[in-house]
Amino acid sequence: MSMNNLKKASLAAAATGVMVGTADAARRRRVDRLIGKIKDSSDKVRTEGWLSAGEVGAPAVEPLAKVMTDEDLEVARAAKRALWKIVRHTGRPRAAKEKRAVQTKLLELLGDGQPVSVRREVLWMLSEIGSFKSVKPIAGLLSNKQLREDARMALERIPGRGAVKALKAGLKAAPEDFKLNIAQSLRKRGTDVPGLACVKLVPTKKTNVKPAR
Amino acid sequence: MKQSNQLNRREFLAAAGAAASIPYFIPSTVLAAPGRTGANERLIMAHVGVGGRGGRLFREMKKFRDTGAVKVAAVCDVDETRLAKAAKEAGADVAAYRDYRYILERRDIDAVVIGTPDHWHGVQTVHMAECDKHMYLEKPASCTIEEGKAMVAAVKENRVSVQVGSQGRSQPEAYLAHRYLVNGNIGHISRVDCFHYPSPEDNNPVPDSDPPPELDWDMWLGPLRWRPYNKRYCHGTFRWLLESGGGQIRDRGAHVMSCAMWWMGADGTGPVTVEATGTPPTKGLWDSAVLMEVTYTFKNPDWTLTWTQMPNEEIPPAEERTGKEPGGRIVRPGYGAIYRGDKGQFIHWGGDGGTWAEKKAREWVPPSGAKDVYKSPGHMEDWFKGIKTGAKTIMNIEAAVGAANLCILGNLSYILGRKLKWDQAKQEIVGDEQARRMMSRPQRHPYHL
Repeated sequence: MSMNNLKKASLAAAATGVMVGTADAARRRRVDRLIGKIKDSSDKVRTEGWLSAGEVGAPAVEPLAKVMTDEDLEVARAAKRALWKIVRHTGRPRAAKEKRAVQTKLLELLGDGQPVSVRREVLWMLSEIGSFKSVKPIAGLLSNKQLREDARMALERIPGRGAVKALKAGLKAAPEDFKLNIAQSLRKRGTDVPGLACVKLVPTKKTNVKPAR
Repeated sequence: MKQSNQLNRREFLAAAGAAASIPYFIPSTVLAAPGRTGANERLIMAHVGVGGRGGRLFREMKKFRDTGAVKVAAVCDVDETRLAKAAKEAGADVAAYRDYRYILERRDIDAVVIGTPDHWHGVQTVHMAECDKHMYLEKPASCTIEEGKAMVAAVKENRVSVQVGSQGRSQPEAYLAHRYLVNGNIGHISRVDCFHYPSPEDNNPVPDSDPPPELDWDMWLGPLRWRPYNKRYCHGTFRWLLESGGGQIRDRGAHVMSCAMWWMGADGTGPVTVEATGTPPTKGLWDSAVLMEVTYTFKNPDWTLTWTQMPNEEIPPAEERTGKEPGGRIVRPGYGAIYRGDKGQFIHWGGDGGTWAEKKAREWVPPSGAKDVYKSPGHMEDWFKGIKTGAKTIMNIEAAVGAANLCILGNLSYILGRKLKWDQAKQEIVGDEQARRMMSRPQRHPYHL
């Protein structure tokens, strides 16, 4: 490479770096602005904030998840609604790249480090936009007593053979008190589950109210 | 649809080897034709959900009980306070249940009035149909597209009679409006604009808490995913949550759009596109749209249906009335629809299921040769007729699911923020994977279709 070309390449690389840096900074600013609105004390500003969250997309997922457990109920609620707004926006047709990016960020929130309430919400978000990539991490929660029912329902909704395979594997490993739940999902997905009868019509709850005499 | 590996309680106990003594009930249908209650027999009835609207239905049924047309054999509610009150009102020897599934195994019970929150309608309808119970089901019929399909299939397969509580169709002035419109008095109608006042906002949000001791929270949630109790969920306020109620578009859309579909001859048809926008509440637990605009486009024949939740001051004022008109008085006539034809327009007002027709329809005298339309003998009476003769009810399950689907699709478009395409023949959303997934909602074990 000649000296001239080397200089040109260096300049181009530097320019690209500046552009990437600028884009990153712009994204950070958008996220910060969104979080600022979500944490605002005004109902109106918070609502404007969560309504505008869709286009902020994947970079806002983790920061919003942190605010979902804010001690101010309305702030926490606004953060949750903002996250749902992102999920609903990103699930639109012809937005596969955005959807993948949001899915990746959501999957990071399924880990043990997150509060159960956040993980439960994330499972339902993934039930709407999760692809085969979500199946394994969700299936991993079938053994978590607090989250297994939501994980089972999320897998029930995710299309493809991978989700059915994960449910079948989950059934084999499930303790007795959870087998019927997984069987319910497998039947919904068109799979026979011999030996595990459906109990949907079996009453279990007794009342203390006596008929009038 | 009955599943081959499904157990009822008897089979369950037998399978478990329990030496239980099972009472044997003689069904009231025993003297009638197979699967059909005899024309002169008294119907044996149960009520599931006896507070709020369910309580009003219970009191309405007591009038039929007092005439000897029905016998109330059981009441059921997940709230022990409401249940105790209903049991006392029902009188001696009326069984009280917390769990509606005990009613499924009561073979003596012919018919059930379901007045539970919306999120229970699909599951309970399918279960009741599978156990051969006729049903009066409070509207709106279903919460998801999938529920609607399952309900229609179960009712058809088990040949039970269902009346859904869009009782506006059975009102005297609904008949007059219908007759006026089908006789071309406003010409060809190409647009129906439904109007309604806003959904409320939760101005008193509270944190989650333990449920009150009288409430079985697990059973109240039923098929919904589990979440902590919050007193703003229930009882009647479930209507303002998208998941359990869906706001005014579902609560009242099931009345106004029900009439529109019937009068337009559009039962059994559906839109090709649905597009909604709306304004959400700014705080609190409730999340259904406060203000809302939905446009449904129908093809072959081409017409447009809109649903608008608008500020109170924009609602078309109701006509002044004496109260002696056929439709009588209705509470807060704050909703209805404007029918726009090429020769004029016509307004229908409603309020809590009542139906008022504009004066010109009430006073119209049909000329000789005019078309007549079905005149309901009353919503409950029309249901009894359906049970005893097999005739289709005025708000049968197919029509009710059709009306509910309009409400569901409107809310889905609002939630997703985009226009949806609908294939009526396949009963499917087209070309939107996320929306397609939202046509159904996984249900908590064991409360499922």
